[in-house]
Amino acid sequence: MSRKSAVRSALLAVTWIPVMLTATEFVHISQIKGSSMRPTLNPNDGSTDWVLLNLWNPMERLRNDIVLLRSPKDPDVVYCKRVKGLSNDALYLDQQSRNRGDKTKLKLVPNGHLWVEGDNAHSVDSREFGPVSKGLVIGKVVCVIWPPQRWGTDLNRWVGRDILANEGPNKSMSNGH
Amino acid sequence: MQQVLGYGSTLLKCFCLLHQVHAHFYEFTETRGESMLPTLAPHGDFVHVLKGRVHRRPAPDTGDSSTRGLHMGDCVVLRKPNDPRSRVCKRITGMPGDIIEVDPSYDGVDDEESALIEVPKGHVWVTGDNLSYSLDSRSYSAVPLGLLLGKVVAANDFSKPARNPETGAWFGYRRIRNNYLEVSAD
Repeated sequence: MSRKSAVRSALLAVTWIPVMLTATEFVHISQIKGSSMRPTLNPNDGSTDWVLLNLWNPMERLRNDIVLLRSPKDPDVVYCKRVKGLSNDALYLDQQSRNRGDKTKLKLVPNGHLWVEGDNAHSVDSREFGPVSKGLVIGKVVCVIWPPQRWGTDLNRWVGRDILANEGPNKSMSNGH
Repeated sequence: MQQVLGYGSTLLKCFCLLHQVHAHFYEFTETRGESMLPTLAPHGDFVHVLKGRVHRRPAPDTGDSSTRGLHMGDCVVLRKPNDPRSRVCKRITGMPGDIIEVDPSYDGVDDEESALIEVPKGHVWVTGDNLSYSLDSRSYSAVPLGLLLGKVVAANDFSKPARNPETGAWFGYRRIRNNYLEVSAD
């Protein structure tokens, strides 16, 4: 009798698997590897941060959000980067033209695309592969949840380079999307 | 109260199971638009899409369409790169590393070299079957594999009779074939 009830509860547990899988489509926990988001995430070599992700509505992004996205070069590789430009933003490509206010070499982010950069200057990001389609974005990093001494880290204390050339509301103005 | 909870959780489980199948294995959905004529009608056609991970990655280069994975000539569903909320159905006409002539009908009045593009690593070149009425890689360039959602394997048309007396097909059922590797299929 006890064996029968064990099988029964095992089967009952199996039926909850799709529910759990569906729940992980809204929130997710992920480990950050590599140094491209230093100093915001993984501030030193010994630590690896675990972060909480919000996967709801991944395409609706603001500037300076930290996002996880699929690499445009390999769909199995996932990058963690900061959104530095929304669709239709104009960006300075290098620091010199930014300092001089030189608007002749601006980079325009196409419709439906984002410009992403790592906080670390040595990072494989849009500086190398250009704007990425919003469809590749997986979700937004909400907070650091592990290790405990990193709880409450302010993710926007350092927001990377300031490259935005246009003023404007934080929202993308790409025809209402 | 107990009974309501029981029904509620069963409903939740069924819904989530259905959603998981829909999201990761198989989808049956309507297609619209002229870009895939004559393979798919502008409206009223429903397609069977396989969405497993293996159906979104290029197959090892064997030239045999029976192996799993994506091949040159497969029909795919993907997110539009410049508007990721909308999905489009196109045919793969260039695999990573292939050199593509962007517009084969181009008569080369200007620099002929400029019409050749190498498809980057991790990207595919997609075009509609109706080249004169299709917004595809010719306008938004090669598409990252991460935007691919699945592979179209068959289609139904419910305006057709339930059973075709000649071919025996139900509701206009037909396989969507790879017209590049299976040239003699029809």
